[in-house]
Amino acid sequence: MKIRTWVYSCILGTIWSACGGAPVPHEALSAAQADVKGAEVGGAAENPKAALHLKLAKDQIALAEKQISDGDNEEAKRTLERAQLDADLALALAKEVKAQAAASEASEQVGKLHKELNK
Amino acid sequence: MMPRSTRFANVRFSVSGSYGVRPALVGASLSVLFLACGGAAVAPQELLDARTAYAEAAKGPAADLAPAQLDTAKVSLDGAEQSFKEEGAEQVTKDLAYIAQRRAELAAAEGGREKAERKRAAADKDFKTAQIEGLQKTKEQLNAEKAARVDAEKKAAAAMSSLAEIAKVKEESRGVVITLSGSVLFATNQSSLLAIAKDKLDQVASALQGQGFKAIVVQGYTDSRGNASDNERLSLKRAQSVRDHLVSRGLPSDKVTAEGLGASKPVADNGTADGRAENRRVEIVVTPDK
Repeated sequence: MKIRTWVYSCILGTIWSACGGAPVPHEALSAAQADVKGAEVGGAAENPKAALHLKLAKDQIALAEKQISDGDNEEAKRTLERAQLDADLALALAKEVKAQAAASEASEQVGKLHKELNK
Repeated sequence: MMPRSTRFANVRFSVSGSYGVRPALVGASLSVLFLACGGAAVAPQELLDARTAYAEAAKGPAADLAPAQLDTAKVSLDGAEQSFKEEGAEQVTKDLAYIAQRRAELAAAEGGREKAERKRAAADKDFKTAQIEGLQKTKEQLNAEKAARVDAEKKAAAAMSSLAEIAKVKEESRGVVITLSGSVLFATNQSSLLAIAKDKLDQVASALQGQGFKAIVVQGYTDSRGNASDNERLSLKRAQSVRDHLVSRGLPSDKVTAEGLGASKPVADNGTADGRAENRRVEIVVTPDK
């Protein structure tokens, strides 16, 4: 009777520790970090709106790291998903601003050329 | 808000109290309570933001230029709405809404970028077309200028050759010298032009108008007979008559001058009648532009 109780406790304990603690979200962490790098390389820091989302991404990665060390892996995973999207948005905004600047520049050049030709 | 939830708490309390007595009533009360609570749940700020972000993205260029991203954002927003319905304003709903908002903003940014890139491509194309047009225009202009120059040169050459029919034309170091015989221009001892002379000078004037020149000096000469000062006076008067006629035909008065040089530079023998006739002359010296 006592042995059986002990065996049950062991089995239950094993199940508990396996299910209760979600695995550390290594993949989500490195994905978010990679996207932050990508956004930085893409010039997100040079544009205020993009820079804001870059900062949000970094802050959330820091938060996720804290959550991981506290054992809140499930929460950390969700935080990292948010962080990754902020990094992606930062990059997209940086690209958008660059494309808009290039378009304005091109339009201006065309305008100048037309003006010159119509002299 | 507060008074309402307090009231619900009271209701629940009284319902619990009568549980054993009327189970049907309890069930009904519970469902009323559930509906009331569900209705009272307010969408979290994250969900409101996500709805706004999606609505804005759908209005913008993303609808046409980033439809896949916009669709992903919609799916994400639907998920957040579903979560809100099932779980209420829990953290999971807030997280899903946050992600939906970012996806909508991403779609908007992608749409904006695509729009800008298309605008740029169109401008580049326009630029190239304009450049080619400009080159063609320049080429046409150059051709026209060249044709005009060739035409002017032809006209000048024709004018000079027609001039050669009525006068001697020689290129000397002092310029192009057009020599007109005195007998063609004037009656003996007169300085007024003969009618036929005027025709010839008109041709000279039109030939000279077609070319650039720095200055024109009209020089009058006589033969060696008679008084030298009389000869000089007569030669100057004749040169002035020619000069005035040329100016009256449109040559610039400030560039055309007259000189009377008398018998000073004979071109033939004053001992013979032919030689003297040759010496009585008017020379028009044209200093070229370059």
